[in-house]
Amino acid sequence: MLKVNVKWQKEVFSNMEVDTTQPPYVFKCQLFDLTGVPPERQKIMVKGGLLKDDSDWSKVGIKEGQKLMMMGTADEIVKAPEKGPIFSEDMPEEEQAVAVGHSAGLVNLGNTCYMNSTLQCLHSVPELKSALIQYPPPVRSNAVDQSSHSLTVATRELFSELDKNVRPVAPVRFLTALRSKYPQFAQLHNGIYMQQDAEECWTQLLFTLSLALRSSSSSEDADALKKFFGIEIVSRIHCAESGEESTETESVYSLKCHISQEVNHLHEGLKRALKSELEKSSPSLGRTAVYTKDSRINDLPRYLTIQFVRFFWKRETNQKAKILRKVDYPLSLDVYDLCSDDLRKRLELPRRLLRDEEGKKAGLKTNESSSTKDSDVKMTDAEGSSNASGDSSVSAPGEGAPPEKEKHLTGIYDLVAVLTHKGRSADSGHYVAWVKQENGKWIQFDDDNPIPQREEDITRLSGGGDWHMAYICMYKARDIAM
Amino acid sequence: MAPAESNSGGATKDQPPVKAPAKDLKKKDDKKDEDLSEEDLALKQQLELYVERAQDTDPGLQKVALESMRQEIRTATSSMTSVPKPLKFLRPHYGTLQAHYEKMSDSDLKKLLADILSVLALTMSPEGERESLKYRLLGSDGDIGSWGHEYVRNLAGEISQEYSKRQSEEAPIDDLMDLVVQIVAFHMKHNAEPEAVDLLMEVEDLDLLVEHVDSTNFKRTCLYLTSSAKYLPGPDDMLVLDIAHSIYMKFEEYPRALQIALYLDNFQYVGELFQRCEDPLKRKQFCFILARHGVSFELTESIIADDEERDALQNLINNTKLNEGYLTLARDIEVMEPKSPEDIYKAHLIEGRGSGGGTVDSARQNLAATFVNAFVNAGFGQDKLMTVPAEASSGGSSSSWLFKNKEHGKASAAASLGMIMLWDIDSGLAQLDKYFHSTDTHVVSGALLGVGIVNCNVQSDCDPALALLAEYVEKEDASIKIGAIMGLGLAHAGSQNEQVRSILMPLLLDGRSSLDVIAFAGIALGLVYVGSCNEDVAQNIVLALMERSESELGDPLAHFLPLGLGLLFLGKQESVEATAEVSKTFNEKIRKHCDMTLLSCAYAGTGNVLKVQHFLGQCAQHLEKGESYQGPAVLGIAMVAMAEELGLEMAIRSLEHLLQYGEQNIRRAVPLALGLLCISNPKVNVMDTLSRLSHDTDSEVAMAAMISLGLIGAGTNNARIAGMLRNLSSYYYKDASLLFCVRIAQGLVHLGKGLLTLSPYHSERFLMSPTALAGLVVMLHACLDMKALILGKYHYVLYFLVLAMQPRMLLTVDENLKPLSVPVRVGQAVDVVGQAGRPKTITGFQTHSTPVLLAAGDRAELATEKYIPLSPILEGFVILKENPDYKEES
Repeated sequence: MLKVNVKWQKEVFSNMEVDTTQPPYVFKCQLFDLTGVPPERQKIMVKGGLLKDDSDWSKVGIKEGQKLMMMGTADEIVKAPEKGPIFSEDMPEEEQAVAVGHSAGLVNLGNTCYMNSTLQCLHSVPELKSALIQYPPPVRSNAVDQSSHSLTVATRELFSELDKNVRPVAPVRFLTALRSKYPQFAQLHNGIYMQQDAEECWTQLLFTLSLALRSSSSSEDADALKKFFGIEIVSRIHCAESGEESTETESVYSLKCHISQEVNHLHEGLKRALKSELEKSSPSLGRTAVYTKDSRINDLPRYLTIQFVRFFWKRETNQKAKILRKVDYPLSLDVYDLCSDDLRKRLELPRRLLRDEEGKKAGLKTNESSSTKDSDVKMTDAEGSSNASGDSSVSAPGEGAPPEKEKHLTGIYDLVAVLTHKGRSADSGHYVAWVKQENGKWIQFDDDNPIPQREEDITRLSGGGDWHMAYICMYKARDIAM
Repeated sequence: MAPAESNSGGATKDQPPVKAPAKDLKKKDDKKDEDLSEEDLALKQQLELYVERAQDTDPGLQKVALESMRQEIRTATSSMTSVPKPLKFLRPHYGTLQAHYEKMSDSDLKKLLADILSVLALTMSPEGERESLKYRLLGSDGDIGSWGHEYVRNLAGEISQEYSKRQSEEAPIDDLMDLVVQIVAFHMKHNAEPEAVDLLMEVEDLDLLVEHVDSTNFKRTCLYLTSSAKYLPGPDDMLVLDIAHSIYMKFEEYPRALQIALYLDNFQYVGELFQRCEDPLKRKQFCFILARHGVSFELTESIIADDEERDALQNLINNTKLNEGYLTLARDIEVMEPKSPEDIYKAHLIEGRGSGGGTVDSARQNLAATFVNAFVNAGFGQDKLMTVPAEASSGGSSSSWLFKNKEHGKASAAASLGMIMLWDIDSGLAQLDKYFHSTDTHVVSGALLGVGIVNCNVQSDCDPALALLAEYVEKEDASIKIGAIMGLGLAHAGSQNEQVRSILMPLLLDGRSSLDVIAFAGIALGLVYVGSCNEDVAQNIVLALMERSESELGDPLAHFLPLGLGLLFLGKQESVEATAEVSKTFNEKIRKHCDMTLLSCAYAGTGNVLKVQHFLGQCAQHLEKGESYQGPAVLGIAMVAMAEELGLEMAIRSLEHLLQYGEQNIRRAVPLALGLLCISNPKVNVMDTLSRLSHDTDSEVAMAAMISLGLIGAGTNNARIAGMLRNLSSYYYKDASLLFCVRIAQGLVHLGKGLLTLSPYHSERFLMSPTALAGLVVMLHACLDMKALILGKYHYVLYFLVLAMQPRMLLTVDENLKPLSVPVRVGQAVDVVGQAGRPKTITGFQTHSTPVLLAAGDRAELATEKYIPLSPILEGFVILKENPDYKEES
């Protein structure tokens, strides 16, 4: 009989008797009583070796008072969970894109940043995407020529590809379609495709799409794009000399922001652009006279596009020069005071509701009683206004099931995309798109390289230096369900 | 080191050329006479009279004249900047006296004149003539110091010149040596130890020093000896240290003697030390020093007879107190609370971006989190991912986190438990036990590696690592094999354990082993036999290399074999030559790579400038296709130059040049070299360089730079680096590989929550732990091909860093080894080598109470007289003894 000390974890069992005539298994059973570790899971270490169940004590060379070490626990053995986690590395690319939180970038195919940035901005309009998916219609009308058709199809394909990929997409097909439709984008200079004006690209593309989609969309909403982007403007043309007055309405796809010495803010620029003077022959005076044109917005789209008129044709240098003036623009824009009286009336109720709702969200507890009173008033008001806006068709486009409540515009818009230009002239420099993602984060799409940005940096693109400055801003309507 | 030039220079510079005509001199002097004060004029005339008299025929008159002349010279007070007046006035007569001397017949008088001439030659002798020495040897052997300090210094300079001249002519030097003895004795008595040492080094007879040191000057002498050793070539440095050792032994300054013995890698000295020093407390302190150095030293019965004491001491050498001390420190600093990777990433501080996606697990990012968790919670025994609180029932977080890693990632995850339980063998093994029974080979592999990690730098007399891992080496599965091999390598690093060798060696030449198994076996053997120059192991690795096919040699894993070979010769300089010769016969694909690796390892930590130049030369060459030797060459620069501060600064600048002009493969290695040079020492200039490189267009340069940012900040919690890495994490958020590197670096910066260091240097940067350096080098070599290894499936090579992990603490303990809190001053260390008096050794200090953290370049000193530390170097564990003379201040 030998006596040994066994160390197990932090415990020491001293003076354990070892019967050297019995196999070590017996000794392990002794330890089982003490520790609760089953013998088969015990590992007993003797000077750099393991004690086997059937080894011979004499060969182990054990001595009186020797220290042994035992390893082993009665813990449950780890088992792999039946359903292992799914790793993003194993997922197909579409799902990865969701996990990344933004869509892919676009490869620059040689001075095509004007196109890439335009596409990235338009790509952020889900309504446009869903409209494109329905294209082409089962019955193709002949209203669309071949090149417009292929451009529309190319846009559709490209948008869906952007959603599926994490890696940058090369818009080769789209570019070919664009150039065949609009040969001016295929201008060469020294054998290289020239840089183009993004605004021109934007306008032309929207124009083509609106043509194509008009024919495709079902009969009820005749012009889908007009609904998303179209702005109806009522102008009063007045001649001070003769007192003649006429009104005309027109539909445009973007508001212009004129930049002059006095303009420091987007709002001022917009106001300026809506007032203009023109000379035309006055029928009453029988000669040309100066007319003032005073425009108001009569109908608002879901996406308000604003172009900063930063480029003008400089005759001296024969090129499009750029105005670098800093013009601030807000993250949320209220165009209420640019609207016609008619539209203002329609906007009033939704605006009030919106204010209340936001007040509630902000935690301003409007006392219950007053709000109920208010709602009574609103109920009556709402009826009136819904009549008024009945045929203005500002309802949200059907995404799946029709909304239970109709959505109404409020005249308040949130910034969702900015197309910026960096450089000194329209045909040079670099265009970049800054797009707000669905998760509320801003991504700067610099061709194939999407870079996350902070919201406060977006408003710093207002110009006044050589940094990127906003050229086209796209605002999305903040609407309210009623 | 050459006092001759520096000393005589000042004295002779502003004098008129000696060979100028005497008339001119006279004229000048006449003019000057007018400016002289009356007193000086009298002295001048007096001296002129003496000179005249000295040439008198009457010996009596001569004698009087010479003696009075001597008297004048000796009593003259001189300052550093001006020549003493008597010497100045005697100068014009130097020639006359010289001529007269030649004419004199041999007599005492002639010797007396020779003495005077010798002194005059101090200012008059033309450079290189050594007339001072010549007349000194001809003169009377009077007290050398009576002529003043300047004279002795000048003489010493001339002796060293004369010595080298005679050495080349093989002329006898006995007369010189007599003088040397006198000079050394004089210097040692007058606080000029550096001069004495310099002279003795010049005449290659340092042994003389031992006779002349006494208790007042031995410390300064040895300090000068040890610090000059770093700059000495070849065998001289060893000789110098040997002398220092014998002096320390003579004056019973045992801890210092032990340091030198360790530097010399001389375990015979260590044994003698234990025998010489009877004090059990001091012996314990020696054990702590040995343990910190990370060597395995076995106390035999012949060294310490008493069984009980031997066991206790051996336990200390085995580092069994390390975990306890570390946790004491952690509790004192209040960082026991486990940290999760999110606490390190601090995503909330990154503006504009939240945690991103977040819903989907990324295997790469989970793996990064595993490493970060392991590094941050290293040694604390608890964390938020791997260890389950006792009350948590089955299906606790432990297993679920484990299985949030993919395939080989699970190995690293299981092994991370070992890192968390670092140095705590008992609980660590108990925690790892459950993984041994897993059916998943990766988990088992990780558990085996974990056992190795737990046992790293600590030994247990039962040797559980060997017992547990041995049988798994035989298993079929490659991943299990590698886990066991690496575990053995880590647990037995530096032990030169025969059993481990017999287990690992057959793997090298086993035709069935896959390349990765062979590569890891090579590394493990290199670690176990680090710096041993073991022939047998070397031969086997060489054979294994030769057997590899050409395609296999192209694999980055194959580079581990030369590295394993190199580790065998780590810091052993010339001993590598035979093996390097053999390596020339290798396949050309690996030949130069092997050559560079061997050389860099052999001269690691020597500061050998020639080798640094050699490596720089290699970097200037253009690579043939498929060659890869420049990476090891760049690392080699760092490995060699990291020895001392000056060389280190120079190397940093050289590396900057390589960045500018080097090719891409060199630029990839430069950040890693910088990381090694400033390991755990975040120098601002290096930090800036790395920060710049972390945005490099070449992603591999960027990755290396980021890992190196982690390395230079390792265990410092450096806020600036942490901020840089946070920004990088948002900059590279969409590139999984780069982000992985950022994460690893973040983990490293917060290594052990800032309580650990990776620096292989310790004991006031005097000693370098070979195993620690080996661990770093393996990891860095793996980083040379980041994509294939660390970003591939061999990410667990990062665990090699565990070899270098040590708490950067000062923990004072009482005589029973219980922690004892005393006030200490901690400040930036000041270099006091060769300084007169008792200069302050630290600057800008703050007073703390122990245990305290020591940053790179910090030094601590006790702020109380109540205790006496048993080690002069306050680092790691230091035993304090009560001061018997201490009186409580009222």
